[in-house]
Amino acid sequence: MRVIRPVRPPPSVEHMSPQHTDGPDLEVRDLTRVFGAGPVRAVDGVSFTAPSGLLTGFVGANGAGKTTTMRMIMGVLAITSGEVRFGGRPATTQDRRTFGYMPEERGLYPKQAVLDQLVYLARLRGIDATAARAEVLDHLDRLGLAGRARDHVEKLSLGNQQRVQIIAALMGAPRALILDEPFSGLDPAAVEGMVDLLREHTARGVPVLFSSHQLDLVERLCERLVVLKQGRVVADGAPADLQSTGTVRHRLVVSGDAGWARGVPGIHAIDVDGPTALVEAVDDTAVQRLLTTALERGAVHELTPVRPTLAQIYREVTA
Amino acid sequence: MTRSDVGRDTSSAWLLVTQREVVVRALNKSFVVGLLVSLGLIAGLMAFFTWQGSRAETFTVAVEASDTAAAATVAAAAAAARAAADEAEESGGPGAERVEVMVLEVTGDDAARAALEDETADAWLSGGDAGWTLTTLRQPDLELVGLLTATVREEVVAENATAAGTSPEELTAGSELATESLDGDALDPGLIYLTSFVLAFLFFMGAVGSGAMIAGSVIEEKQSRLVEIIATAVPLRHVLAGKILGSSVIALAQNLLFGVVGLAGISFTPWAQALPALSASMVWFVVFFTVGFVAVAALYAVAGALASRTEDLQATTTPLMLLLMGIYVITFSADGVLERVLSFVPVASIVSMPVRVLSGDAQWWEPVVSLLLLVAFAVGAVLVSERAYRGALLQTGGRLTWRQALRAEA
Repeated sequence: MRVIRPVRPPPSVEHMSPQHTDGPDLEVRDLTRVFGAGPVRAVDGVSFTAPSGLLTGFVGANGAGKTTTMRMIMGVLAITSGEVRFGGRPATTQDRRTFGYMPEERGLYPKQAVLDQLVYLARLRGIDATAARAEVLDHLDRLGLAGRARDHVEKLSLGNQQRVQIIAALMGAPRALILDEPFSGLDPAAVEGMVDLLREHTARGVPVLFSSHQLDLVERLCERLVVLKQGRVVADGAPADLQSTGTVRHRLVVSGDAGWARGVPGIHAIDVDGPTALVEAVDDTAVQRLLTTALERGAVHELTPVRPTLAQIYREVTA
Repeated sequence: MTRSDVGRDTSSAWLLVTQREVVVRALNKSFVVGLLVSLGLIAGLMAFFTWQGSRAETFTVAVEASDTAAAATVAAAAAAARAAADEAEESGGPGAERVEVMVLEVTGDDAARAALEDETADAWLSGGDAGWTLTTLRQPDLELVGLLTATVREEVVAENATAAGTSPEELTAGSELATESLDGDALDPGLIYLTSFVLAFLFFMGAVGSGAMIAGSVIEEKQSRLVEIIATAVPLRHVLAGKILGSSVIALAQNLLFGVVGLAGISFTPWAQALPALSASMVWFVVFFTVGFVAVAALYAVAGALASRTEDLQATTTPLMLLLMGIYVITFSADGVLERVLSFVPVASIVSMPVRVLSGDAQWWEPVVSLLLLVAFAVGAVLVSERAYRGALLQTGGRLTWRQALRAEA
């Protein structure tokens, strides 16, 4: 017998430092958007908080309302009802001008040089030309695009265009970041580089809300998670909390065949494969009963609670 | 986190947008090529007029060596032609083309005929008591016939008068037809027509060309969702203002360039005399165009915003194109009352008023009133367009109509 303790995911660098700071939180309250005369409630009473200094993952199936919510947060789509709050008061147009935003569909001026258009976009945000240039060059350098500064955007690969687009959102020390699928199409190394960049912003106390379909990534990165289904929030919290509210399973490894586990009261064997059994227990007594029975039958090599992955939770809450 | 950067200053965003529009346009390859081609066309046209103006038609008239009367007549005709040409040059305008007459002395009638056959001479004049004959190989040139007929008549009348004991002056006394024009300084109507054509063409090309550019630049941002990034950074009003100003600056610069090259070219043509009047007209045109283009640019920006993809531009810009084309056709062909009315109708007045200024039939206050009407129209167009632009720009569901755009909430 080796361990009988919960196995936590290995503490990663990302999970060590971030904590809720006293900077301004981004909140949405009862946000609703109705489209057309139908009417379709694309977003229906959505409320959640993207706390300052934390990465908040925003997940949900296609059409769940993530993009619509983000567009309302940024003010590019009119809000039917509800409100967006920033720093404890309704977000103003002036507030939003200080937010970094990466829209769902990608695009930049295809026939303009990378440096020129990033400087242009930065200057539109009120940064003076010299500072804008320095900041853009710094970001290009960090994302490995220093050599492409003079190239037209259309000459860049999609992944590189994506990096340029993200740089556009990060210019000028934004006070909040709203990023729609920032990691799609990036290779793992690029994702790491991007995460480091985002961490710098959360370290400044900036709330970062990003949507993604890559649940493993969200699980690894986020301190907060909001799951949307058909325009409603179906889960909201720290990934670890969400995982503990999900059904906990146990894995049992014994010396002989574990088929007997199917007959233990209060235990539902999901899968038995030779000496290994994956079970769901109705309560902790049932787990103890399983362990006692196993010990009576021979050696027990492992009895481990298996925390559901985010993918499982996601499937459960969006089922 | 400091709060110092709350509400960053975006008040000069319009200037940034303007700068970008101008720079991007000025570096656009197809724009530069189009500009150079147009300049080449203007320069070529002027060179053609200059060549045509300076071109002299030379007639070589053969006379038999012994035929002194014919020789004297041809010499007189040559002098008359030179005098007429000099006079035309002084009065300005292209007038009739210059005619030069040369004498080719031949010995014997056969030699004269041979000269006609091998085309060393255009005509053979023989005169004297037997009567005057102009022989040519084919149909005679009417201009030459006219010139020689007048010269021969003058000579013969002079001879007959002397024989009758009187003078040609006495004989022809009272027969002069004096000409008097009420509109003494009137310019060559051909020049006015040509000017109206050129101005209408400049207007049409400038408006449609720059209009298409602004529509393209709007849809580029809309389709790529760049506009969402921009709209969250600065007020959309600034973006529209910058685009209109940027396009207007380019259109103005382009027309100034065309105007300067065209006027410089005209100074080499027989119309050089009309240069002051043409310049005044051109200045009015540039002023009118600049103001009117603001309205056209604003409408084109909306046409761009109504589309949802570049492919929709065709459909959303066609009504404007047709309108401009209609104005183009009607303004260069209009005259009389219609022209007078058009010179006050915004957008059409861009062409019609400068033409009326050139032809001199506009009172001093007329262009001013017309310009004020145009300014009012431009302001109205910009205000309506601004609403439609903001309404349409952030809508992502397919092509929109003006009505939908004006009703839309962001």
